[in-house]
Amino acid sequence: MLRLWPLSRGLKARHVWSLAARCSSTAVPEKIEVFVDDKRVLVDPGTTVLQACAEAGIEIPRFCYHDRLSVAGNCRMCLVEVERSPKPIASCAMPVMKGMKVKTDSPMTKKAREGVMEFLLMNHPLDCPICDQGGECDLQDQSMAFGSDRSRFTDMTFTGKRAVEDKNVGPLIKTIMTRCIHCTRCIRFASEVAGVDDLGTTGRGGDMQVGTYVEKMFKSELSGNIIDLCPVGALTSKPYAFTARPWETRKTESVDVMDAVGSNIIVSTRTNEVLRILPRLNEEINEEWISDKTRFAYDGLKRQRLTNPFVMDDKGNLVQAKWEEALTVAAKKLVSVPGEQIAAVAGGLVDAEALVCLKDLLNSFNSEGLCTEEIFPMDGAGTDLRSNYLLNTKIMGVEEADLILLVGTNPRYEAPLFNARIRKCWIHNDLEVALVGPKMDLTYEYLHLGDLAEVLQQIANGKHPFSEKLGKAKHPMVVVGSTVLQRPDGGAIHKAVTTIAQNARVKSGCGEDWRVLNVLHRVASQVAALDLGYKAGVEYIRQNKPKVLYLLGADEGAITRDDLPIDCFVIYQGHHGDRGAQMADVIFPGAAYTEKDATYVNTEGRAQLTHVAVTAPVLAREDWKIIRALSEVAGAALPYEKLQEVRDRLADVSPNLTRYGDAEDANYFKQSLELASLVKDNLTSTPIRPPQLNLKDFFMTNSISRASQTMAKCVHAVLESEKKGKLS
Amino acid sequence: MASSRVAVIGTKQVKPILSANKTEAKRRVLNLYKAWYRHLPYLVKDYNIAVTVPETKAKLRELFLKNKHVSDIRAIDLLVIKGQMDLVETMRIWKQKTHVMMFFKDTNIKKPTAFLSRFYEGHD
Repeated sequence: MLRLWPLSRGLKARHVWSLAARCSSTAVPEKIEVFVDDKRVLVDPGTTVLQACAEAGIEIPRFCYHDRLSVAGNCRMCLVEVERSPKPIASCAMPVMKGMKVKTDSPMTKKAREGVMEFLLMNHPLDCPICDQGGECDLQDQSMAFGSDRSRFTDMTFTGKRAVEDKNVGPLIKTIMTRCIHCTRCIRFASEVAGVDDLGTTGRGGDMQVGTYVEKMFKSELSGNIIDLCPVGALTSKPYAFTARPWETRKTESVDVMDAVGSNIIVSTRTNEVLRILPRLNEEINEEWISDKTRFAYDGLKRQRLTNPFVMDDKGNLVQAKWEEALTVAAKKLVSVPGEQIAAVAGGLVDAEALVCLKDLLNSFNSEGLCTEEIFPMDGAGTDLRSNYLLNTKIMGVEEADLILLVGTNPRYEAPLFNARIRKCWIHNDLEVALVGPKMDLTYEYLHLGDLAEVLQQIANGKHPFSEKLGKAKHPMVVVGSTVLQRPDGGAIHKAVTTIAQNARVKSGCGEDWRVLNVLHRVASQVAALDLGYKAGVEYIRQNKPKVLYLLGADEGAITRDDLPIDCFVIYQGHHGDRGAQMADVIFPGAAYTEKDATYVNTEGRAQLTHVAVTAPVLAREDWKIIRALSEVAGAALPYEKLQEVRDRLADVSPNLTRYGDAEDANYFKQSLELASLVKDNLTSTPIRPPQLNLKDFFMTNSISRASQTMAKCVHAVLESEKKGKLS
Repeated sequence: MASSRVAVIGTKQVKPILSANKTEAKRRVLNLYKAWYRHLPYLVKDYNIAVTVPETKAKLRELFLKNKHVSDIRAIDLLVIKGQMDLVETMRIWKQKTHVMMFFKDTNIKKPTAFLSRFYEGHD
């Protein structure tokens, strides 16, 4: 008789196999032959029965098993019959063996599934009609497909079903723990992906409970993903509670703009309202996770919106106006001053179409004063070489890297999914991480090299012990936060980092295909703006004192009224009544990212499209159209009228902006280093400090998330829980 | 008998609907035009529409001229038959006011085509 391995040994063996596969990359491991319902499949050794079945095109029902999490094997839903084995086996945890004959449709398998369903439903409330998971519930679906058609649950003595107290884990996740089937997906996600070991189980058997043991907030920037992971309605979204059923909503594929990663999302809408945001699979960017800001800041799209054009009257009050009036007032001003006295600032949420329109408009007035709010050092090669400001290795590159040096960035809050990728590789690939900056919790261990800029110079010169280690790395990565480059000595830091990266690249012998230098941006519009030739930073405007200033979604307060002459006329175009609108003389209401077909370029230089999920509120219009209309009223009509023509123009300026989904590689690192050598080494001794150090800094970073009530609640909850932590 | 002969010739000659030749077709068109023309004052009165008689005459002319490119005799005949039916329906007040006003398309507002007017108009 073929002896089956116990579960633990099977798992260990899998590990050994995968190790062997890593060590001897030359020898291709032999494929194993298995039969799934008499269909022959060849799979790698170490794959599980469940994966082999998937290969054969048969999906095994499961609750606890998840592709991206470790195997738990505790729900027993994936039981299948294997020939010559006395009992059904849990297919998610069992590695395949030669000649295994799996039966996924046999009476034994069916009975096993039915039995498991029966046990699960015995302790699961029948509250589907009021459950938020209804319609997208794995338990609901699988009980229909695999459950028994009659119940043996009678509860003669009316003892009732198992009932568990609900837990309060913060303002984002609603828990109804009675519905929990103990699949432990949330626990595994928290400890493996999010790196926050807050969730766990207490008690055993019928008394087992999933929770935080003592009541506390689940403090993670990725916490919302456990809502998607939960196969039942135990963990649901608090802001979305009792809002809609999945079959009532319309889903639009889109791209997130809360950070520069450009996570792929699905926007669920009904009655012209964004109801929720869910992740969309993209292996190259966000896998299947999204950050909490991406997921929950959508309520900010309904508050503080600019819905009408405004014009300043004689008394200095902004009054509602018609589009004709607002455009005429702005156009008159634009025409009345010489071109060099017009300037523009582009904010962090602006799309590439609007950026190119604004640039063409101002250029037609002979103005070159186009700036971005985010600063980037312009010394040396500056933004002339694309490789200087991109995440050149790409997010996928982390999977190959063996050493990452983080400089002045807190990727956990600046780009949570990039950080999740680093953590994933730190766990699975023996990736090592070093950090220059303040000590902070990145969810993985790292070598702390101090927080002074001098350290960078020492590494660049080879005087620091770390430079030896960097030299030995096969696939090193240097990741610089955009904020550290915004210091007065940003140019010098960029030079030091470029030198470090180039040295590491030469020493590692990784060849021309591997790029070492990476810049991690924080805002969605920056790369597109730099690709289009905007000046990084508002220094130009501070020096030239424009008479007309065009703020395109510039809400971070880089330019204030104090920086401008008193008679300066400020035009604000954007979607929220935030800092930019406060100082404006004319306001044009624009569309937010869920309301327009627009191009956004992420920090890797990957162009992606958002789509119209809802129409812009009241009189708000798509941004590029506003600028096009203004140009016509001002008598300098831009030579395009349709979106496709604007995209053609984008492609003329920079073809990568319309190659959607692709991240164009950038080069010329050597030349960049040569140019950088001209920069003076005026490093200051102020310690490097990224602005987002704690979770409370993560939630409100742009005009949408600042207008969001949910985000405000998150900040409040984090502060409260910190206070509580201090008291105890 | 006659019809089968026509079918044999087929490709060269088709069976006429009403008119055998162009002159005849033209006469029918003019007759229909005159019949409409004579009825127009009564139409304005019967239906109590906010259009003057000269305006209806202009519209009649416009609608007839809309088909002036039609040269196929059978097509002309069909148009005449339809026009005749329409006239009868109008004369016998089988129509209502709005049906008559449909000739004038007065509620048919044209959408702007220029960029700026489209922009003012709103979401397109």
